[in-house]
Amino acid sequence: MKATRAAQLAPRSPLLWVCMVTAAALLLHAAQVFAWITIAGLALVGWRLAAAAGLARLPGGAVRIVLGLSLVAGVFAQFHTLNGLAPGTAMLMLMVAIKLLETRSPRDQYIVVGGALFLLLAACLDRQTLAWVPLYGTDALLCCSALAVVAYASGTDDGALRLSPALGTREVIGLAGRTLLYAFPLAILLFLFFPRLPGHLWAFSPGEDAVTGLGDTLTPGGITRLTTSYAIAFRARFDGGPPPPDERYWRGPVMHEFDGATWQAGRYMPGEAQQLDCLSAPYRYRIYLEPTFRAWWLALDTVMASPAPSVRYTDDYQLIASQPVSQSLSYRARSCAHARSLVPLSPAARQMDTQLPPGRNPRTLALALQLRSRAGSDVGFVRSVLTFLRANGFTYSLTPPPLGAEPIDDFLFDTRSGFCGHYASAFVDLMRAGGVPARVVTGYLGGQWNPYDDSLVVRQSDAHAWAEVWLDGTGWTRVDPTAVVAPERIDHGILDLLPNAVSVSARIVHAWPWLNATLQRWDALNGWWNERVVGFNYRAQLDLLGDLGFRSPELRDAAYAFGAALLVWLAWISWQLGRDTPNRPRPDRLGRAYTRLCRKLARMGLARAAHQGPLAYAQTITRRRPDLATEVGPLLETYAALRFGPTSTPTPDRDLLRRFELAVSRLSARRRSDGDRSVKLRALWFP
Amino acid sequence: MQERAADWARRRQGPDRLPLTLARRRLYILPTRAGIAFGALLLTMLGAGLNYANSLALLLTFLLAGFALVAMHECHRNLLGLALLEAAAAPLFAGSAGALRLTLENPSGRAHYRIRVAVANEAAMVLDLPAGSRGQLALPIRASRRGLQRIDRLRVSSSHPFGLFRAWTWVHAPITVIVYPRPTGSLPLPADRGARSGTYPRGTAGADEWLGLRPFRDGDSPRQVAWKAYAREAPLLVKEYSSSGSPLRLLSLEDARQADTEARLEQLTRWIVDAEAGGDLYGLELPGERIPAHRGPDHRHKCLLALALYGS
Repeated sequence: MKATRAAQLAPRSPLLWVCMVTAAALLLHAAQVFAWITIAGLALVGWRLAAAAGLARLPGGAVRIVLGLSLVAGVFAQFHTLNGLAPGTAMLMLMVAIKLLETRSPRDQYIVVGGALFLLLAACLDRQTLAWVPLYGTDALLCCSALAVVAYASGTDDGALRLSPALGTREVIGLAGRTLLYAFPLAILLFLFFPRLPGHLWAFSPGEDAVTGLGDTLTPGGITRLTTSYAIAFRARFDGGPPPPDERYWRGPVMHEFDGATWQAGRYMPGEAQQLDCLSAPYRYRIYLEPTFRAWWLALDTVMASPAPSVRYTDDYQLIASQPVSQSLSYRARSCAHARSLVPLSPAARQMDTQLPPGRNPRTLALALQLRSRAGSDVGFVRSVLTFLRANGFTYSLTPPPLGAEPIDDFLFDTRSGFCGHYASAFVDLMRAGGVPARVVTGYLGGQWNPYDDSLVVRQSDAHAWAEVWLDGTGWTRVDPTAVVAPERIDHGILDLLPNAVSVSARIVHAWPWLNATLQRWDALNGWWNERVVGFNYRAQLDLLGDLGFRSPELRDAAYAFGAALLVWLAWISWQLGRDTPNRPRPDRLGRAYTRLCRKLARMGLARAAHQGPLAYAQTITRRRPDLATEVGPLLETYAALRFGPTSTPTPDRDLLRRFELAVSRLSARRRSDGDRSVKLRALWFP
Repeated sequence: MQERAADWARRRQGPDRLPLTLARRRLYILPTRAGIAFGALLLTMLGAGLNYANSLALLLTFLLAGFALVAMHECHRNLLGLALLEAAAAPLFAGSAGALRLTLENPSGRAHYRIRVAVANEAAMVLDLPAGSRGQLALPIRASRRGLQRIDRLRVSSSHPFGLFRAWTWVHAPITVIVYPRPTGSLPLPADRGARSGTYPRGTAGADEWLGLRPFRDGDSPRQVAWKAYAREAPLLVKEYSSSGSPLRLLSLEDARQADTEARLEQLTRWIVDAEAGGDLYGLELPGERIPAHRGPDHRHKCLLALALYGS
C-alpha cells in the first residue's frame, strides 16, 4: 500500500501541490480584488492542470509574454496605477499564475510557492480580522507542505530515483504542521521582542476603497445604507461604568454648509478648539476603532482633548487624523457629557452656522419666522420647533418617500416621515432660518453592552445624526429632534425600533438570545485580538518591556530579553526533535490498558522486566507481593487470554475489554494510599 | 572549493572506518539556494510588515522564520545517527562503470528520508530509510586505470524536509576497488598451444578432471546433469569436467604483439574474457607469475587480478 502511494506521489504530485497552493492564495484575495483577476488566475491554474493531465498544451514563450503583458495592461486599466497594495496584489496574483504555466523544474516550483507565501502576506496586510486567521494558518500550512513535497520530489530528478516508503500526503502535512507548531513559540517571541518601528520607512497610500463609515456629506436619505450594516464600528471600554443610554452620543463629522438638499462639512475654522467648562465628571475610556478609511476618530460627545499628536482637535470638537484609519487602532479619550462653552461665538462662526441657501425651502423659512416671532427667546424657539415636530404626525422610518426639489419643505409639510438625517437637517434649517446658529452633527447613538469583555459595542447600524444649536449662556447645546419623534431610538437600538431596517441575519441574531450571547463572546474575542495582537505596536512593545522590568526601555534591552528567550526555544526544539518516538505505532486499546497496568505496578516497585510476558510477570508479583497476587494475577491472566488466548482476535470482545480497563483503573485508585507507603518503607529499609 | 573544504574536513575528522555512525561533530549544514531565496523572501516580508506596522504580517514572517530554523534542525536530524555499515564493489574493467554497494542503517525510531550518497564527483543516489531499517545503494563509480582504485571520499547529504538547508558529511573510509585492464585488442585468440609448451594442468593428462557445476544450458547431455543436486531442490546443474577435447590455451605477454605493455595487458584481458566465455581452459604466464590452465569465475578473477596488478 505504501508503495502505491509512493508511486502516486512521485512525478505529478509536486505540480498538483503547487497548483493547489496557488489556487488557495488566489482565493484568499477573491473577496478583495476584481472578480476577473481571480477568474483569470484560476483559469491559468486550470490550464496548467489540464496540461499535466494531457488535455491541453502548455503555451510557448511568446504566448506567455503576450499573456503576461495583456494581464498587466488589464490591471493598469483597472487601477490606473501599478503602485500600491491593491494593484500590487492583483499583479502578483496574475504573475504567480502565469509562472505556473512554465513550471517544470523544482526551481520553478519553489518560486511559485514563494509567490503564494507572498500573496498570503499581502492578505495579512490587507485584513487582520480574527475571522480570517484560521484561513491564513491553513494557507501557510499548505504552502509549507508544498515545500516539503517539492523538496522530496526534487531529490529524485537525476534519474537515480529509488522509491521506497515515501511520504504520503498525511505525513507531509503532519511534517509541515509539526514544524510550524515548533516554530510558533519563536514567532510569539519575535512578535513581542523584535524591535518595531515608531513610524514608516516609506509612505504608502491606504487605497481608495473607503467602504463604510460616516460620510463627508449628508443628504437626507444618504444614511440608509449604513443602518443596514451590522458590522462593528468601534468599541469603548470605560474606566468606570458606561454612560447612560441618553449620553451615548458618539461624535463624528460635523456639517456646516447646506445647499438646500445636502449638508457638507464646509470650511473648518482655523482656530483652536474652544475651552470647555465641564459640568459633570468626565468619562475616561479607550476606543478601539475599526478601519473606516476615513480620517475621523470617534469619541463620546464632547471630547475634551486630542488623543494623539497627529490628530487635530477642531473647534467644533471633531477629531481629525492626518491619515485615514486603515487599520484598527485604539486610543484613550476623555469626554464631558454636560459642558458649557466659555468663549462667546465668534462672528465668523456665527455667520457660517446661520447661513442658508437663498431662495430654497421657502415654506420652511416662513414657518421658522412665524415660530421665532411667537417664541420669546432662542430656547423658546427650540422648544416650539420640537413641539411642532411632536404634534404634527411625524413618523420615524428608514424607508421614507422620496423628497422633491425642496426637500426640507417636502419633508416638513408633505411626507412627514423620515429618519435621523431628515429630522436633524430640517431642525437645523429651521433654526438657521430663525436666526439661531445651528449645525448638523453625525456620528453614532447607542451601543450594546458586551458583558464578556466589559465593553460598549457600537455598530454601523447605530449611525445617527443630530443637531447642535448655539444658546447664549450655555454655548453649543445638543438637540436630538429624532428623540422627540421616536424617543425609543435613544434607549434601544434601531433593531427594536424598526426591525425591518437591518438584514435578516442581524434580525435572527437579535431575536435569539443565545445566538446573541455567542456573538457577543465572539465580539469580545475579536476585541481582544484587535487590542492585543493587531494593536501591538512600537508603543505597546515599549510598555511591555517596561512591565517586564526594563527601566529605561531601549532596543538593546529588548535584544537581551529576546536572546535569552531564543536560547530557551532552541534548547526546546532540539530536545523535541531529538525524541525518538514519532514513528512508533500507537498500541491498541488492550495494549494501552496493559501499559497502564504495568506502569501502575512499576510505581509500586514491581516493574516488569522487558523479557517478561504477562504470565511470567504474574508469577514474579505473586512471589514478591503475595498480598497483590489475588488481585493482579487474574488481571494479567485476563490480558494473556485476551491477547494470546485461543479466542483472541485483532479486536477483542468489547465487553471483556471494558471490564479489563475498569479493573486496571480501580487498581490504581485504591492502591495509591496504602500500597505506595508500604513500598516506600520497604525501599528505605531494604535498599 | 568543494575539494578544499573536503580536505579540511578530512584533516579535522581524521580517517574513518566502516561501520560508522554519523555523529554531530562531522555534520555540516548550509542553506541551499532555495533556502537563501527563502531568507530573502523573509527579509522582504519583514520590511513590509515593519513598514506597514502590520502585526499579522509580522507574525506570519516570524512564524516562517521559526519554520526555517526548525527545518534546519530537522535537516540536521535527518542525517544524525545514521550508520554506514559496509561498502564493497565488484571488480570492474577500466573505462567502464561499476557500482559501489553501500549498506546504510537507520537504528533510530524515526524514518530518515532522502539520504543522498555520492562517490566523489559521480551521480548521487537517493534512499529513504524507515525507522529501524537497512537499505542498500548502488553508487555509480567509474574506473579509468587498471590497478587498485581507492575511493577515498563519500559524500552523504540530505536536504529533507523542506529543501531549505542541506546537511552533509564526508566519509573518508578506505574502500578499494579492483580495476581490471580494459578488455581491448583485436588480435585473435592464440591457437591451442598446450602441446608446444607442454604444460597441461596438473594431473589432467588423459583423465577427465572435475571442474565444477554450472547452470544447465540447452544442448547439454542429460548424462552430465547433476541429478543428485536436482533432487535436493537445487536448480538444474551440469557437472563439468575438463576433457582433452576442449582447447587448452596458455596465454603470455609475448603472445600479445602490441608495442605497449599496457596494450598487451589489455589484449590479454580480452583473450581471458573471451576464453572464459568460450568455455576454454586457459592459463596465464607473466614474468614472475604463472597461473596454470583452468577455468571458472574464480580462475578468471585470479588471472584478471594478476593483469590488474601487473607491475605494481
